[in-house]
Amino acid sequence: MSGWEHFFMVVGFSLVIFAVVSGWRLLWGPSAPDRVVALDTINTMVVAAMVVLGAAYDDVIYIDVAIVYAALSFIEVLFIAKYLEREV
Amino acid sequence: MVSFGEVILLLLIIASSFLAVYFHSLLASIIALSAMSLVLALEFYILQAPDVAIAEAGIGAALVTAIFIMAMSSMRKERGK
Repeated sequence: MSGWEHFFMVVGFSLVIFAVVSGWRLLWGPSAPDRVVALDTINTMVVAAMVVLGAAYDDVIYIDVAIVYAALSFIEVLFIAKYLEREV
Repeated sequence: MVSFGEVILLLLIIASSFLAVYFHSLLASIIALSAMSLVLALEFYILQAPDVAIAEAGIGAALVTAIFIMAMSSMRKERGK
């Protein structure tokens, strides 16, 4: 495992920077569905970053955070989508 | 020693909580609030507190967003009558 930690750390923080870039659509999205899709993209990026950083920290409990967050972010986007469906 | 990534995450927390106050649309506010709790969970994660990150993810992503969406839709229903 030694030697890969630095690589995983770089990949994880690049994923965080990609999430920042898709935060641009969260900021300037003209309509609400644009913002929802941007939030879902950021959620996916962050779950991937959590898994990669868990490999970098070399501990299993960090993967559990990613699993719980993946399930809960799905529920969250599902709720917002049901609301938008009722609205339009 | 504060790393570069932690500074980026702290700036993101400040920016998204400012957006949650700034947006006029309630739905956009809720989305910005949930983005704030997401970045806060990632910050706890990077500070190596995974149990706090699990609690923050559960409360921030699922509970707060679901309760706010339900409250907003029942508010719309009340106003429509």
